[in-house]
Amino acid sequence: MAAAWDAFYHFFSWLILIYFVALNLSYILFTILSLIGIFRYQKLTTYVSFHDVFRLPLVKPISIIAPAFNEEATIVESVRALLALEYPCYEVIIVNDGSTDLTLEKLIRVFHLQKARRVFRRVLETKPIRGIYLSPDYPHLVVVDKVNGKKADALNAGLNISRYPLFCAVDSDSLLEKDALLKIVRPFLEEPDRLVAAGGIIRLSNGCTVASGQVGQVRLPRNILARFQIVEYLRAFLGGRLGLSMLRSVLIISGAFGIFRKDIVLQCGGYRHGTVGEDLDLVVRMRRHLHNMHMPFSIRFIPDPICWTEAPESLKLLARQRNRWHRGLIDALSHNIHMLFNPRYGVTGLVAMPFYFIFEMLGPFIEVGGYLVFLFCLIFGGLNYPFALLFFLVAVILGTLLSLLAVLLEEYSAYRYPRLGDILLIVLFSLLENVVYRQFLTVVRVKAFFDYWRGKEEWGRMTRKGFAEAR
Amino acid sequence: MSPSLVILVYSLGFLLLVSLCLFGFIVLRRVVTDSEQRLFQRLYRAIEKDILEAVTAPDLERLREVASKYRLYSSVLTRVLLDYGQVISGDAKDRLKLVFDLTLRERCRKQLSSPWTSRRLKAARLFFVFFDPGESEILLKIFQDKPIVRLTALTSLFRVSDPAILEFICRAFEEDSGPTLRSYFSIMVGLGEKIEPYVRESLKKNLPLEKIGLLIELIGTVPLRTLGSELQSWSTHPEKEIRIKVARALGKLSLPDSIAILLKLAKDEAWEVQAQAVKSLGLLKDPRALDLLFRSLFSPHWYVRYNAARVLASMGREGIEKLKSVAAQEMDRYARDMSIMTLHELAILEEGE
Repeated sequence: MAAAWDAFYHFFSWLILIYFVALNLSYILFTILSLIGIFRYQKLTTYVSFHDVFRLPLVKPISIIAPAFNEEATIVESVRALLALEYPCYEVIIVNDGSTDLTLEKLIRVFHLQKARRVFRRVLETKPIRGIYLSPDYPHLVVVDKVNGKKADALNAGLNISRYPLFCAVDSDSLLEKDALLKIVRPFLEEPDRLVAAGGIIRLSNGCTVASGQVGQVRLPRNILARFQIVEYLRAFLGGRLGLSMLRSVLIISGAFGIFRKDIVLQCGGYRHGTVGEDLDLVVRMRRHLHNMHMPFSIRFIPDPICWTEAPESLKLLARQRNRWHRGLIDALSHNIHMLFNPRYGVTGLVAMPFYFIFEMLGPFIEVGGYLVFLFCLIFGGLNYPFALLFFLVAVILGTLLSLLAVLLEEYSAYRYPRLGDILLIVLFSLLENVVYRQFLTVVRVKAFFDYWRGKEEWGRMTRKGFAEAR
Repeated sequence: MSPSLVILVYSLGFLLLVSLCLFGFIVLRRVVTDSEQRLFQRLYRAIEKDILEAVTAPDLERLREVASKYRLYSSVLTRVLLDYGQVISGDAKDRLKLVFDLTLRERCRKQLSSPWTSRRLKAARLFFVFFDPGESEILLKIFQDKPIVRLTALTSLFRVSDPAILEFICRAFEEDSGPTLRSYFSIMVGLGEKIEPYVRESLKKNLPLEKIGLLIELIGTVPLRTLGSELQSWSTHPEKEIRIKVARALGKLSLPDSIAILLKLAKDEAWEVQAQAVKSLGLLKDPRALDLLFRSLFSPHWYVRYNAARVLASMGREGIEKLKSVAAQEMDRYARDMSIMTLHELAILEEGE
């Protein structure tokens, strides 16, 4: 028995070590690629005037689709921000997905909406639409009121009603910077035939001041959880997605801000119902479809167009959000599992899918397994102390270094935290992040796995403070 | 102290040191960046002042002095030349070009072959702003470069109105192929009516359909009204895409005598051509199209009905009466719903106005 345990212990120690080295090497590679990407982007965009892009007849009109469910706290500011975007031709479609609060009433009151009898092509099946509203003051604003069918259904309803060849999916609790559309559409001008989707960076608005639908002064929030998330977002977007984009392996375009070619999305059947990770699912299906059709394509992450969103400030809400994200990841990957390690799907099957499958989906299990074995050995003896200590230290050091590098990436890219005090705090939270916060999220993600297995499909209620009270 | 504790203390010390170094680096970088920016601004103002004086001076000597004085400050000089090269024209532009010739042209020529995209990008922009017909071959290379370089070239050309650019672009358009073709369209639109004789000539040549389509689209977008009659022969082309483009171009041209062609295209066998022709008829606002638009409301194709309803709504009282009559009938509910929707939207938007 002791020999069997010893063999298991050694096997598991090595498994964890190999996993850990591979994970961190991948992240370090992504961070290096991101640094190169940011330098390149900065250099290149110095000589491209985004406002000149306005003048090109090649610029395609865009439909912005923003699903809203119980967003009464932020909806008006968000719609104002969307209506004030700098772009030559676009429409804003807000889909009220059966909200039970005053979301629709607020929209009707503030934008003087009137019910219109609009006819549209039902290309994608959705829950019934109760009404379509137009504003006499804002001709390019359309509000769709429908029976609740979750986010994917709301986006599909928006797609049915949209008129333009490109569509931009945004969360209605998010704020886009004024030039965000101009910046995100530029790659579509460069590669009109190849580019099918692009995503921008998501930043957290907690602590920032918001006026007229635009983020003004950028400051760190007082809430500790929100500070941890700021570090995490910087690492995930600037370190992770940009790196993956450089490897042509972007698998997630955040539901909060992404732009897509409508014809390709419609060919894929729109957003899939019954999933809580519709953004990831769509990109994976698009990749699958385009590979199957042998169509050359590209999907890119752009580090500059910024979308601000509010992060949860309580453990309960954070756990709920991350649980949903992880269930979405498991769902999307398991629905397309045949793409994994499949050379037919090129870089998607050989790089992107394996990375998300091994490190993102299974990662929490391996990590929690490590903690459990550690605790077991600590209690019942047999712990190799020098190895455990060294492993722990290397883990913390590498994790912290990656977070610190993300701070550097932020400094080189958007430069959104001008106060040195804020930078010092971000550095401090990068140090602390690996101690309790990371373990908490790992446990949440393991729980998400079991929730998915049990068939949980809930989104989980998110309460918003609203931008006006963000501080 | 046990070795484990020593390792722990050293590791934490290392992390703290790295963090402090990072913070220190950020502070230092900000100080350096700020001072560089201040220096850049100061130098920019000085170069700007001297160059503006020199381009308005009676002789060229002052211009040569300025060029020799600032030839080593290439990044600031590039910015000044780009900023002013895009907004001034005539004699002053020629003088500015002389500064470019004396300072940066040779360097830019080398940079066009640089492996670094950013350098090629910068050089491309300067070359387009200070275009020299003798360098057409170099510029042609730019259109084979990466998309971002082509985009930059495009945005530069929008601001340049050098007649010598015309011939170069038309020749390049005829010789080039592949994904860059669409770029020429934007450039040609930027050149405006000057492009008319070249388009007329090119339409007579045996060019691939994709290029012919772009030229037809160009006629409508510029717009080149004198070429309206040329479109008639293309309206019967067997390729559907060409007929769609003809319908779109005729709408944009809004020539009164093109109504007959559009009415014919509105009865085309392809519904895409019908939809576009109906839309274009709306731009002509000719009452002779009312009956056809009315009939198009009963088309089995959604886009044809949609466009017909919108066009009728834009044609004043008579069009609205037609819509009302369709809205009141029960024979075709698709036509009725489309009419009701359009009338409803019209009422809401009119209220806003």
